[in-house]
Amino acid sequence: MTLFDVVFSGNDTVYGLTESAINDAIAKYGADKAVAFPDTAYSLPCYYAVTGTKVGNLGELKEALGVVKTLMTREQKLNDAFMSGVATALCAEFIEVLKYIDGAAPYEAPCYGHLGDPVIRELGVPLVTGDIPGVAVILGAAPTAEEGVALVKSYQAQGILVTLVGGIIDQCEELGYKTGANVRVIPLGKEVTSVIHAVSVAIRAALIFGNIKPGDAAGLMDYTMKRVPAFVNAFAPLDAVIVACGAGAIALGFPVITNEETFKVPKSLIVQKDVSKFNATSLEARDIKIKITNIDIPVAFASAFEGEIIRRGDMQVEFDGSRVDCFELVTTKDMAEVEDHKIEVIGPDLDGFEVGTKHSIAYVVEVAGKRMQSDFEPVIERKFHSYLNCVEGMMHTGQRDMIRIRVSKETFNAGFRLKHLGEVLYAKVKSEFAAVVDKCQVMIYTDDAMCTKLRHELATPVFDKRDERLDTLTDEGVDVYYSCIMCQAFSPSHVCVVTPERLGLCGAVSWLDAKATNELDPQGPCQVITKERVIDERIGEYEDVNEAVKKFSQGALEDVSLYSIIEKPMTSCGCFECICGIEPLSNGVCIANREYAGMTPIGMTFPELASMTGGGVQTPGFMGHGKHFISSKKFMKAEGGVKRIVWMPKELKEQVAERLNATAKELYGIDNFTDMIGDETVAEDPETLLAFLEEKGHPALSMEPMM
Amino acid sequence: MGNFKLTSVEEFEAATNRLLETGAKVGADAWQLRVKNQTPHCKFGEQGVCCRICSMGPCRITPKAPRGICGCDVHGIVGRNFLRFTAGGSATHSDHGREICHTLHTVSPDGNYKVKDPEKLIRIAKEWGVETEGKDIYDLAHEMSELALLEYGKPFGTQRFLKRAPKHTQELWAKAEIEPRAIDREVATALHMTHMGCSSKPEALIRQSLRCGLSDGWGGSMCGTEFSDVMFGTPKPVDTEANLGVMKEDYVNIIVHGHDPSLSEMICDYCEDPEMIALAKSVGAKGINVAGVCCTSNEVAMRRGIPMAGNFLQQENVVLTGACEAIVVDVQCIFPALGPLSKCFHTKFITTSPIAQMPDSDFIQFNAETAGENAKLIVRTAVENFKNRKPELVHIPQLKQKATVGYSVEAIVKTLDKVTNSQVDETGTTKPLIECITSGVLRGAVAMVGCNNPRVRPDSAHIELMKKLIANDIIVVLSGCSAQAAARAGLMDKDAKELCGAGLKRVCELADIPPVLHMGSCVDISRMLILASELAKDSGLNISQLPLVGCAPEWMSEKAVSIGNYVVSTGIDTFLGVEPQVTGSSEVVGLLTDGIRDWVEAAYTVEKDIDKLGDLMIQRIEEKRAALGI
Repeated sequence: MTLFDVVFSGNDTVYGLTESAINDAIAKYGADKAVAFPDTAYSLPCYYAVTGTKVGNLGELKEALGVVKTLMTREQKLNDAFMSGVATALCAEFIEVLKYIDGAAPYEAPCYGHLGDPVIRELGVPLVTGDIPGVAVILGAAPTAEEGVALVKSYQAQGILVTLVGGIIDQCEELGYKTGANVRVIPLGKEVTSVIHAVSVAIRAALIFGNIKPGDAAGLMDYTMKRVPAFVNAFAPLDAVIVACGAGAIALGFPVITNEETFKVPKSLIVQKDVSKFNATSLEARDIKIKITNIDIPVAFASAFEGEIIRRGDMQVEFDGSRVDCFELVTTKDMAEVEDHKIEVIGPDLDGFEVGTKHSIAYVVEVAGKRMQSDFEPVIERKFHSYLNCVEGMMHTGQRDMIRIRVSKETFNAGFRLKHLGEVLYAKVKSEFAAVVDKCQVMIYTDDAMCTKLRHELATPVFDKRDERLDTLTDEGVDVYYSCIMCQAFSPSHVCVVTPERLGLCGAVSWLDAKATNELDPQGPCQVITKERVIDERIGEYEDVNEAVKKFSQGALEDVSLYSIIEKPMTSCGCFECICGIEPLSNGVCIANREYAGMTPIGMTFPELASMTGGGVQTPGFMGHGKHFISSKKFMKAEGGVKRIVWMPKELKEQVAERLNATAKELYGIDNFTDMIGDETVAEDPETLLAFLEEKGHPALSMEPMM
Repeated sequence: MGNFKLTSVEEFEAATNRLLETGAKVGADAWQLRVKNQTPHCKFGEQGVCCRICSMGPCRITPKAPRGICGCDVHGIVGRNFLRFTAGGSATHSDHGREICHTLHTVSPDGNYKVKDPEKLIRIAKEWGVETEGKDIYDLAHEMSELALLEYGKPFGTQRFLKRAPKHTQELWAKAEIEPRAIDREVATALHMTHMGCSSKPEALIRQSLRCGLSDGWGGSMCGTEFSDVMFGTPKPVDTEANLGVMKEDYVNIIVHGHDPSLSEMICDYCEDPEMIALAKSVGAKGINVAGVCCTSNEVAMRRGIPMAGNFLQQENVVLTGACEAIVVDVQCIFPALGPLSKCFHTKFITTSPIAQMPDSDFIQFNAETAGENAKLIVRTAVENFKNRKPELVHIPQLKQKATVGYSVEAIVKTLDKVTNSQVDETGTTKPLIECITSGVLRGAVAMVGCNNPRVRPDSAHIELMKKLIANDIIVVLSGCSAQAAARAGLMDKDAKELCGAGLKRVCELADIPPVLHMGSCVDISRMLILASELAKDSGLNISQLPLVGCAPEWMSEKAVSIGNYVVSTGIDTFLGVEPQVTGSSEVVGLLTDGIRDWVEAAYTVEKDIDKLGDLMIQRIEEKRAALGI
């Protein structure tokens, strides 16, 4: 049998199963029965992406199967094999969606089944930044459980997102290996059709971040091939169905690595008999480069550990800035004052504390460099959170003097001590900020008295000075803005214009960050944009900005305004922290943040809003932005500013309240403005919201109509 | 995807018609007019049934006169004519190779010619059993040159390069008694056999035709290719442009035309000479622009990225632009028409080789020993001619396409190395290509070669066949004027992957190649022999089992027949779009299209309907796949 014949036969098998499953379902529920996956605006995501048609009920699903059949041509050509692979994937999606009829929860722990849109949006940023350098789909059972788990662990240590299908899930359970989204090892399901849930993630990424139009199958495949760094590890034995699924994966550009002797296709279907070499073979096949910073510590260091949680019972020791004096700080020194790679611990080390106790800590990273500027200090400092969380068995939250750190017993027992914390900070700062940091030393204090003294005499004055500097940083006060195209790997036509009062919509790039990024890599993603030729001050439109946007979007965008949501609004890649959209009834705007899962008075959930706003396209009336932008004086300045805000999820409102209230007070003299803003406890529909706003006398009601 | 679009044959023709208007204005002749004058062609000649070998004749065979005066029948006459045709081609290619070997004898560290690829020289020397350890590379070059020249006349033994073929192929040759001996001897034997009163048995004549062809492909041509690489560098992928639009109106345009890179390489060197550039500026030009025509163009494009102005039937067009200061030629495929044509313009028609001397040309003899001076004189002559340009006659059709060229076997293997996985694969082999073929991602490969011929709408057969093949996931390797047709159409632009089937498209994307690969000039078809041999060795199959065929849809020269014979003899089925002049003999036709399969496991297929020719090739490729069960 030729390779293509195997694909065709696997495809025929799955098609047959799908056909009878749909017929059975129709017999049972009737053709009008609704079918949908939970938490997605793209139902059914794969079919919708490939054909541009949404499927809502069983009758439509049956029609869709007819369309799938047309893909199943049988010439001995790769196109036919690819399309049959795609058809197999779509059939798998149909089989899977049937499991969710009537809001059923077909998957139980540890399996996840379908992954909702919020998961994809969460993964978007780390995929863009390379913090997740790749996505592994492991299919079937490894020769032994030990080999399977070792493979999973090897990817995890590299920060690669791992999804599991079939026997490998049992193997992880058998050895008690921890899985879950927070450690980036996601068991999907035990049947082969559940592999579609991984494919669905890649495909929705193309729709959300790539602005791929549903129905543009060629554009979709081009996007996934060039921009989604996924690959498949399929364990022997491979049956025809798995080979057919593999053809679908390869069609999307995802190489398949297997330990079964079969046909070989360079960079696409690779036979690797030695499972211990799957990792290296896969990374090479998908051209994934792992940034290696060899850090001399006794435990693993990888972005996969960023989400790891250390519970009290597993904790060796804790440092807690909310109870005792703690802080972290970067400070610039003269070259002569810094001894490179010096790490000094002043006070007791970890083995000097009793198990489960709470202590003070202060660590000061002293840097020197010819191109170092004090503006970069907070930029470097902000990365400590991510650095320390990447240490296996270490948890870090907060910043400045509100930090909290936990070290697990396991990590302590592996020999981890405070000097290793210093090693991590040293190695990361030196490697990531090589352009500005020439020398770096780390001082770690655990002596209570020293911590208290340094906090008040050294840290607080620095923090105050920085806040002052930040407050004086206004759009008018600087000569240049910066472009940011960090997301273009994913969203090829999106450009952020970052100004002091409008940070990047992902929330991760402030004007200072952009400045530092430009300094670190002058040819890199952040470029200087001048702002000399103003077109319209009211909406913040500049000729120079337009030219830059046109250039960096490869002509996709002609003009943008900085301060308007209606006229030429700035585009979004899909990484936005928040989306703001017009709510016509109340003459204001509602804001939803990524974490918010419920309904908004606009009548759309965050994922639904996001599906209209992403992909680098201008959508007047909708805008993606960072949380910090909400309290900016430039927020929707053209439409009247923050007093247009009529609704926000409660949690978000609490996060921004202090600064937003200050802005409202300063701009309009309104006290406690956030009390006037609705949330999901008040209303999830426009009518109830309007009644609430009228009761509170919300200023938006008396403003000029927005549209 | 951008704005990629092929240039159509209609656009080619519109450009040519516009140039012919200029020609009419100045009273120039053109091949299009001469074809009319020569039509209809002599039927006896077309069928190969006219014998002019002794002065008892000419004799021509008709139903009423079935034998010549000597008694030779039509099969003997057709067979003899076919063998002589082959001998002409074999002698021509091999003599080109001989010139290269002689040039190799002149290399010196500070001479006109140097060793640019010492690694390759050492590799060949080792193959030939020559001691290389501790030897000066130039001494080695001289020693190898003498050994190579001996291949032309050695009294005993067969060609050294035959050992490069798979063992099975070598055995077939031995069994069929067609292993070529000394290169010149096979030509002499051919002429001897066809003398009045020698062979008239078709089987013997065709056997010698194959042997004479093999002495070209595995002898003279291979020497030409290999030692050109040693002196001028082994080609590797390089970007260039193709079609008449590469000529530049405000530059001195020098066109190099012919076959031997010894001349063109030197001309290119001197066009970059600051003294010459200064001279060009002093006469009002912005600089000097060199472009190529015919196989010389392939040589310099492959090695230096020099743009390709056109192929065989474009040679008059470059003069008709009115912007050609000099057309500098060496040997082969040069229209004598260029002489009178150049007189209608300011163009200098500069012949350089005693082999190709023509009326109405400036003869500047080119010698390896004085190559630098000769080249400088030629360039100077061209530059000084810029002022004689007649602006009212200048029209350069603005057609050109991007092309990536330079796929020697070495470069192909290097490209394939890039898609290997170091965890499982070895490098330096053709195995990735074999894997693409056995898995079905690629259905097979076609080596398309050869000339233009007014019997076929120029370039249309090349281009249409290539489009058809790549759409069917068949990768195409090209040489000679076929390669230029592809480049001018845009098929060597990497964006042409959009015209491919899903399989070839994916291969192009992963390997970063265009779907049709430029392997060089017509002597470089020897590269294709090596590629086929490597594929056979790496796959463990015989060459004839590989889903691989050869094709010459617009062939015209004796060289093409010699090529066809060595390609078929190497086990590669060969498809022709123009009939060889053998149709008068059913026996000879039978041998060529079927009988020789018993000796070499391959034969010719002739089909003048180009679309059908494409279908036949695809069918043959699929048959070979089916036989292998892949």
